[in-house]
Amino acid sequence: MNTLITTLALGALALAAAPADARDAAAGAAKAKEVCAACHGMDGNSATPDYPKLGGQHQDYLAKALRDYKSGARKNPIMAGFAGALTRQDIDNLAAYYASQPRTVSTRY
Amino acid sequence: MNKVTTIAALASLALTGSALAQAPAGDASRGREKVQMCQGCHGIEGWRTAFPEVYHVPRIAGQHPAYFVKALQAYKSGERGHPSMRGIAASLTDQDMADLAAYYAAPAAATAGK
Repeated sequence: MNTLITTLALGALALAAAPADARDAAAGAAKAKEVCAACHGMDGNSATPDYPKLGGQHQDYLAKALRDYKSGARKNPIMAGFAGALTRQDIDNLAAYYASQPRTVSTRY
Repeated sequence: MNKVTTIAALASLALTGSALAQAPAGDASRGREKVQMCQGCHGIEGWRTAFPEVYHVPRIAGQHPAYFVKALQAYKSGERGHPSMRGIAASLTDQDMADLAAYYAAPAAATAGK
């Protein structure tokens, strides 16, 4: 019985963990067109000085920024609205999509 | 009396207007002299934060100067919470921020590094 419970628990954990790790840049592109592109550009090369360029930014940094906007840890009235409506999966997909776009930002010493 | 009031009102408007318009102009060469505190993380491709969460530090060269300054101000005000960035931004003046933004936005920045 204990073994069964453990097995079930591990199975549930595996299921819960799996979607968070899978990033779908194509789904991210569809979401980007709908939500982000008007300000940040479809390729993440934002034309508006107040809005950051996202193209080629690190995937994990982009995802963290979106999570922080969603949680309110990072406060921005515009982004709170957009990020608040995103699921965890949307966030991972969007971050993967913009990270895969041509570099608009780089590392400079 | 009304005239005096009007003149005073206009003068204060003009002052407010110039204060608002007075985001300092950035000087990339002066920014270069202030960049030491940035390089240790943002100058190393692939560098990750160690605390409080692990992720790649953002690539900042080529970023819009206006956004760059806004980000630093948000760290300084506490609106953005990364501990190291809060400490660093707190030490920067508006002029420092503008200079750093100009340095990182300079054309060479878009091509240097990878």
